[in-house]
Amino acid sequence: MNPPSMFDVTKSVIAVLASLILAVSVASAQNGAPAPRPDDDFSLMKMLSDKGVHDIDNEGWNAYGQFTYISSWKPAFNAPYTNLNGSINSLLPTAERSFTGTATLYLGARLWKGAEGYLVPEVISEQPFSQLRGLGGAIQNFELQKGGATVPQVYRSRLFLKQTIGLGGKSIVEDSGPLQLGTHYDSRRLVFVAGNFTVLDFFDTNAFDIDPRQGFLGLGFMTYAAYDFASDARGYSYGGIAEFHWDDWAVRYGRITPPKQPNQLPVDFRLLKYYGDQTEIEHKHSLHGQEGMVRVLAYRNREDMGRFSDAITAFEADPAKNATTCTTFNYGSNNSTAPDLCWARKPNVKEGVGGFVEQYIGHDIGVFARGMYADGKTEVYAYTSTDRSATVGVLAKGTSWSRPKDLVGVGTNLGWISDIHAKYLGMGGVDGFVGDGAITAAVERSVDLFYSANFQKIYWLSGDYQHITDPGFNAARGPVNVFTVRIHGEF
Amino acid sequence: MASFKSIRGRVWPLLAALSVFWCFVSSAEAQQQASGFAVERFYQSAPGGGWFVMDDLDISGRLGGAISATSGYERNPLVITGPDGKQKLAVVSQEAFLDIGGSVTHDRFRAYLNIPMPLLVTGTSGKLGPYQYTAPNLTLGSSPDTVSDGRIGVDARLFGQPGDLLRLGAGAQLIFPSGNRSDYVSDARYGGMLRFLAAGDAGAFRYAGQLGVHLRPLNDAPVPGSPNGNEFLYGISGGRTFAGPSGWAVIAGPEIFGETAFHSFFSGETGTEALMTGRLEQTGTEHNLRIKLGVGHALQQNFGAAQWRIVYGVELFGHK
Repeated sequence: MNPPSMFDVTKSVIAVLASLILAVSVASAQNGAPAPRPDDDFSLMKMLSDKGVHDIDNEGWNAYGQFTYISSWKPAFNAPYTNLNGSINSLLPTAERSFTGTATLYLGARLWKGAEGYLVPEVISEQPFSQLRGLGGAIQNFELQKGGATVPQVYRSRLFLKQTIGLGGKSIVEDSGPLQLGTHYDSRRLVFVAGNFTVLDFFDTNAFDIDPRQGFLGLGFMTYAAYDFASDARGYSYGGIAEFHWDDWAVRYGRITPPKQPNQLPVDFRLLKYYGDQTEIEHKHSLHGQEGMVRVLAYRNREDMGRFSDAITAFEADPAKNATTCTTFNYGSNNSTAPDLCWARKPNVKEGVGGFVEQYIGHDIGVFARGMYADGKTEVYAYTSTDRSATVGVLAKGTSWSRPKDLVGVGTNLGWISDIHAKYLGMGGVDGFVGDGAITAAVERSVDLFYSANFQKIYWLSGDYQHITDPGFNAARGPVNVFTVRIHGEF
Repeated sequence: MASFKSIRGRVWPLLAALSVFWCFVSSAEAQQQASGFAVERFYQSAPGGGWFVMDDLDISGRLGGAISATSGYERNPLVITGPDGKQKLAVVSQEAFLDIGGSVTHDRFRAYLNIPMPLLVTGTSGKLGPYQYTAPNLTLGSSPDTVSDGRIGVDARLFGQPGDLLRLGAGAQLIFPSGNRSDYVSDARYGGMLRFLAAGDAGAFRYAGQLGVHLRPLNDAPVPGSPNGNEFLYGISGGRTFAGPSGWAVIAGPEIFGETAFHSFFSGETGTEALMTGRLEQTGTEHNLRIKLGVGHALQQNFGAAQWRIVYGVELFGHK
């Protein structure tokens, strides 16, 4: 299969699909319908409620679960070089298979007035492409974790307390669901969260509240690829979050723990010394009768991380300080002609600012876009190697073809790296994910097209295609095609 | 609205898939060759069980349940004596944990889930005779999300009513593996417990007891201090109730519990602890609260019985 022609085919498919979606949206544009009501869903809690033994609208507790299996296949692709001079972070050009399997139990309980506690144990088994190396924000499966293994690992993903203090306004119904007790909140309220969670539970939540395990597969669609939020290797953190909701407005701030070393599991609890700060402003609106939302997010991390310029300076001043002579934490590069971040790590600051917009354009059809600009001076510490990112996409439910629980989406994700980041990679350096030994710096792009078909109400079978150009921000390699199948169940 | 039959038809395939997944977890973990084992011998009663280890069998009413959070710290839970009988090595000298549990009750039956999470497990490495022991070095920072061997169980009150002088019951638990043997938080294989329970009230006095079997496939004999397979469980507790206003009460009294391996019945591999407990509780409403505190010392300090420990917990419980 000729990759360029494949891309052309993809563009055609996207154009046709987008036209179809927009046509349908015009035909059925009546209101900005949110996600289906719980009455349409099946769950254990709904079953108990139907039997009259559980008050699902004002819950004292709830329990939900899910399992997801994702299998991806990557055919061989063109690459004039791979892991040049002993660098280690190339996406391998050979055909590869990757998978993830997860099972999750979401437990929630009301502890006292306004207080909710949540505990989420999870098990994961995984095998990434090329040991999760060689891609920036275009990593094809958002479930992949750093340091994961095919041997299933059980861990606690979340354990946190949420306290809500009502300040009046309208009464808002919150449906029962994972990480949410069925209840009513004041539209004006203060919310405090403390414990162990992923910051994405509260910041830059998924477009249209679609469960990511039903939606886009690509990591770049989960949040801003350039949002290097502080978290451990699995994507979770300890910390606290405060939110202030005032009708259609919300402001939130959070301080969370970074890992002790970049992209590793151990957590640094010295929150006054090393931390990830983020703040977000959110506004919900209605445009021509269709609901939408705009968010602006800024983050500032202080972590023990290396600046690309410092690593280059150290190497140029003393070539003995290269990637093979590290005496502290490093990624194991064998390139003795390359600088390495191990010689530059010290308390440094990383900053970024981004914006997100989602807008329903018809019944169960919406578009979204998000973009972020980070300073690009320092290494990736937790999320992706991307320094600047932009994503646009369209999501639609199958209401128009009488399959309202089906979901279809198409989107594209663009990622850039800073000039100094490109210079560092061009000298053969590696960061947590990318570094081919050389680089023809370019925009890493991925196009993601998926369809999730629901059956028996609680299962979703998805097919997904991703086309990735300039993998690892390197125009000399690729493009890459990825084909994925996903089975997902909820109860 | 989906019929119950059709719902059941959807749920069974889901449960089957999850079971297969867990079996995969089990077999994969069982293949690990790491040393160590689940050193914790503080086998808590089910959420809502009243005592720390014993169970007051006060299960009644329509649909109800409990959630619990228990934490504790123990000193020297695994001190191994060398072949000369003099040299001692504290392979696990400190252990702290947090355990979150939840139970659902109906009439005289209870089903529950306990998810323990180690916060600290450290000790001293060394050699005793021909055996080299590598101490664990687990902290919340190094292992921020570890779950150790969890438990799913069912209990039933078979004889007597709440408040009776004698209540009898039985319980069964499935222990599912999680965590690493090298951290001394897991046997890395499935286990189980079968227990016969007794409890009763006599005026202001309460008591409870248990006899049971810990079905433990792990047998690392002859390595000193290691599990020797299936174990016999025993325990007894008693206390006095000091009633207060508005349904509040304080119950104070000791709990004694322990275990011994069937292979060396009440000889070498036996550990017994005594715990002085006090609990403040409010009962008689739909939403009840219990706050528990216990401080204890080993009566027979080996086989995982801590030299001393402190435990504390809170339970929310009730029924319609």
